[in-house]
Amino acid sequence: MVASHLPTRRRWLAPILFWIYTVSYAAFVVAAAFFTFQNGEPVGGLAQPAFFGLSVGIVGGFGLIFGAFLLAMIYALLGPRDQGDPPRAKK
Amino acid sequence: MIYHASTIAIVVFAAFVGLVLALSFWLASRAKSASGYFAAHGQVGWFVNGIAFAGDYLSAASFLGICGMIAFFGYDGFLYSIGYLAGWIVALFVIAEPIKKLGKYTLADALNAKFNSRGIKLIAAVATLVISLFYLVPQMVGAGALVKPLLGLPHWAGVMMVGSTVTVIVATGGMVSTTWVQFVKGTLLVIVCAFVVALLLQRGFSLPASPIESTEVQTISKGPTGTIVNGEPLSSENQLDSQLRNKHGLGFGSVAVLPNGSTSTGPLGPLAYIKTFSESTITTWRKGSDPSGATTFTPVQRTGSDLLLPGSSSTFKSVRSDGFFAKLDFLSLMLALFLGTASLPHILIRYYTVKDAASARKSTVVGIAAIGVFYILTLYLGIGAMTSGALDPTDSNMSAPLLARTFGNGIFAVISAVAFTTVLGTVSGLILAGAGAVAHDLMKDYWGMDLSDRQQVRAARFAAIGLGITAIVLGIFFEKMNVTFLVGWAFNVAASANLPALVMLLFWKRTTKAGVISAIAVGLVSSLAWILASADTLEKVFGYSVTDAASSALVPFSQPAIVTVPLGFVILILVSLFTSKAQSCPR
Repeated sequence: MVASHLPTRRRWLAPILFWIYTVSYAAFVVAAAFFTFQNGEPVGGLAQPAFFGLSVGIVGGFGLIFGAFLLAMIYALLGPRDQGDPPRAKK
Repeated sequence: MIYHASTIAIVVFAAFVGLVLALSFWLASRAKSASGYFAAHGQVGWFVNGIAFAGDYLSAASFLGICGMIAFFGYDGFLYSIGYLAGWIVALFVIAEPIKKLGKYTLADALNAKFNSRGIKLIAAVATLVISLFYLVPQMVGAGALVKPLLGLPHWAGVMMVGSTVTVIVATGGMVSTTWVQFVKGTLLVIVCAFVVALLLQRGFSLPASPIESTEVQTISKGPTGTIVNGEPLSSENQLDSQLRNKHGLGFGSVAVLPNGSTSTGPLGPLAYIKTFSESTITTWRKGSDPSGATTFTPVQRTGSDLLLPGSSSTFKSVRSDGFFAKLDFLSLMLALFLGTASLPHILIRYYTVKDAASARKSTVVGIAAIGVFYILTLYLGIGAMTSGALDPTDSNMSAPLLARTFGNGIFAVISAVAFTTVLGTVSGLILAGAGAVAHDLMKDYWGMDLSDRQQVRAARFAAIGLGITAIVLGIFFEKMNVTFLVGWAFNVAASANLPALVMLLFWKRTTKAGVISAIAVGLVSSLAWILASADTLEKVFGYSVTDAASSALVPFSQPAIVTVPLGFVILILVSLFTSKAQSCPR
């Protein structure tokens, strides 16, 4: 059975996860727009090396794609329960 | 380029189309009621719906357009991948569960759930039709691009084939068959692309038989007797890449220098593949024209590390500029991609096909997983195509299928057939969204026609046929445009028209029906007007030169979302405040 009060629990999770991702995405886009080129030449931002010889552009892009999945999984596992959800196992 | 059909390609293609059509006819009996036709009775499982989300969303723009853009311009195409996926965060955390609870069959249902307003129904239906048509064009262009190498048919024939097949799918089985077509397509697309990427990694990079010199300019022109390639008439033996192939063993797009002076890398891991590319020098081809008016393709060597930075294409060149408005253009497009996904009618109606809000959430998570994997693969497919020696420099949309052909005709046939079902899946979702807007929102709710359940379904079937014909005409007309570029516009219009109304309806209690109507109308009209007045439209649609387009444009940059989305919010708030006493949002 799913208790009727459960839908209101952890409603804060979605906005928090949303803003974590939105800020990350905005930082990436702003880095691309304002910190990568000066006079048409790469100076930093996405052009900087990150690790394994890959640039921040590649690592950041992969990070945003994998990050979206990670946050979605967190929300699926820890997010608020709704009437249609199966009950969580009690520890 | 001249393309010849292969028997295996035709067989695989026919098998795919036959399977899809058989599925539609088999499922047609489940779509006789309005609930079945528009929402598959709300009984689609969350996992199937999640993969169907991927099938719906991973359109020709994603597969053909992004791969082509990466193959021609490098990182710029990957920016689309990042933006398209990021948009699902808005869908998951903001829109998914409320829209499931509010709506029934269409986006207008959700927007109108608290007001019962004919005005909202009208404007939401119009927005749905406009956005769906905007999105339809690149899908149809992609279809035409596919059948050229697959079946050796001209562009218009591919557009006709997709248009008629999709019309049959939607007219017969509605959301039931559309869901399963999208499920099959989503599954196949990810698996087949992963297989091609595995082959790419296994092959690694290698140099052409001899270096390509910067003086080896290739030319193509239209003469009175037909197409002239490098001074000789176009034929099977004299194609645009024939000289290159004869001399260097590879056509357009190849590695010029590999790290450490090697001639071949052998198999590479996923990260090593990107690293090796970034440390290599690549021969790309710059399009231009000579004094006689012939189109020229000049070899230009660029470092891999530069190609893995944004700003090589005309769409994203603003990133490398120091101009303020150029930066805004880039920010605006990335904003549109982020906000557009959760505003696309054909995506939102998928939320009505599951039984409850929890299923809506879970299906979004599955969708994000499938779509995310695919977008990672696009980077590899694009880089692979860029260095495969198989590009058609006259058509970026062909890059992924031509890359597949370098692994043999069998893989080429399968990937082209999958790409074709990609178009089918997305177009069927778009036409279904449009048919729902016409039959359910306009005919039944706005005009108040007394339609029974079955009459409503019949009206939707006829609307689907009308939309299918419209899509065919537009697909033929816009043949030469890069499909990703067109989809970027659709995202701008969707985000501007729908997102302010959706978000404020869900999160601001003082929203009024006049506020919703105004926000949609202003967002729709302002974004369309902005696009029409932009330099990009003047150049790419009306054929202006770059300088003429820049001087004639009425707006300072081409992507409107950064102006028109906030404008929608402001209009909604102001109008709601002025009308709040008369018509506050019922709770």
